[in-house]
Amino acid sequence: MIPTSHYLVVSLLLFTTGVIGVLTRRNVIIVLMSIELILNAVNINLVAFSQHLASLDGQIFAIFVITDAAAEAAVGLGIIIAFFRNRQTLLADEMDLLRW
Amino acid sequence: MPPQYIPVLIFAVLAAAFPAVTLLIFALIRPSTGAIGAKLKPYECGIAPEGDARGRYSVRFYIVAILFVIFDVETVFLFPWAVDYRLLGIYGLISMFVFLGILIVGYVWLYRKGALEWV
Amino acid sequence: MTNEILFYFFAGLAVLGGVLVVTMRNAVHSAVFLITTLLATAGLYLTLNAEFLFVVQIILYVGGIMVLFVFVIMLVNLDVALHQVQFNRQTWVAGLLSFALLAELLAAVALARSYGEENWLFAAPHVPTVTAEGNTEQIGRLLFQNYVIPFEIASILLLVALVGAVVMGKKRI
Repeated sequence: MIPTSHYLVVSLLLFTTGVIGVLTRRNVIIVLMSIELILNAVNINLVAFSQHLASLDGQIFAIFVITDAAAEAAVGLGIIIAFFRNRQTLLADEMDLLRW
Repeated sequence: MPPQYIPVLIFAVLAAAFPAVTLLIFALIRPSTGAIGAKLKPYECGIAPEGDARGRYSVRFYIVAILFVIFDVETVFLFPWAVDYRLLGIYGLISMFVFLGILIVGYVWLYRKGALEWV
Repeated sequence: MTNEILFYFFAGLAVLGGVLVVTMRNAVHSAVFLITTLLATAGLYLTLNAEFLFVVQIILYVGGIMVLFVFVIMLVNLDVALHQVQFNRQTWVAGLLSFALLAELLAAVALARSYGEENWLFAAPHVPTVTAEGNTEQIGRLLFQNYVIPFEIASILLLVALVGAVVMGKKRI
C-alpha cells in the first residue's frame, strides 16, 4: 500500500504550483485555472485522509468542494466576461480602477 | 485500485495508444512531398476557407454552458440518491424535492427573464 | 505492485500537468494541461478506492467546468494577449515565497514522522472494511443521513451562482 504521506506530498506540489500561478500570471483565466489546481490539491488531501482514517466524510467534503468549484467557475468566468466587455483586456494588473 | 477497474485501465491505455500509433504509422509510410500554397489549406468541402477557426464566439453559448454545469452538479447529487432510494424512503424523497425545487426556481427565473431565448 | 506503479504514474502526470498549466503562454494549452491534471487526479482517487469521486471528477470537473473554461477562452479570444508579457513584475518575489511555503509544508510533513505513535502518517493507511455495498451506496447513505443540510445549502449556492453568472454574462437583463 502507498503511505498517506505520499499523497500529501503530491497534494503539496500541486498546491504550490497553483499558488505560483495565482501570484505570477497576468491572464485572469489562467489565474482562475490555478485556483482550480489549488482546489484539486485540497481534494486529494481530503480523499487521502478519508482512506487513512477509514471514514467516508472526507469524500463527501470533496464532493462539496467540487460543487463549490463549479459555482466559483461559473461566477468567476461571468465576471471575466463582464470585465472583458468593458475593458477589452484580460490582464489582472489592469484591473486598477480602485487603486489609490 | 479496486481490481474490477483493470479492464477500464486497459481500455484507457488502448484508447490513448490508438491515435498515437495511427499518426506514427502514417508519418512513416506517407511520401514526404513539399506541399505548398493551396495544398496546405484546411479542406472545407472544396470551398475556400472563410475566416479564422479561432474567432470570437457569442456570449449566448456561455449562458447555455452555465445551465449545463449547474444541472450537471444536480445530476451528480441525484446519482447516489437513486442508488439508495429504497433505503432512504420518503425522507430522501422530500429532501431531494427540496433540492430540485430550489434549482427549479433559478430555471424559472431564467426562463421568465428571457435569458434562454436565442435572439 | 500495480497500485504503486499507477500511483507514481498518475502523481507524476498530475504534477507535470500542473506545472505546464502555470507556464504555458496560450490559455487554450493551459486548459488542455489542466484537463490532464484533473484526469490524473481522478486516477489518484481510484488508487484510494474512491470510485464515486473518480466518476464525479470526470463528469463534473473535466466534462463540466473545463467545458465552461474553454467556452470562455473562445469567447474572449485575443490574439494580442499572446504577444504580451505573461508574468507580473513581482514574479520573483512570489516564486521565492511560494517555494518557502512549499519547504515549510514539506518540513511539516517530515516532522510529523517524529510525533504521534508508530509513525502514524507514514504507515500504510487503514483499509476500510470491505462491505457488501459499494462506495456509491455508502456515500449516498452518509450524504442523505448526516449531511442533508449542507446538501440543501449546496442547492442554494448553485442557485446564486446561476443567477450571478447570468447577470454578469448578459448584456442587459
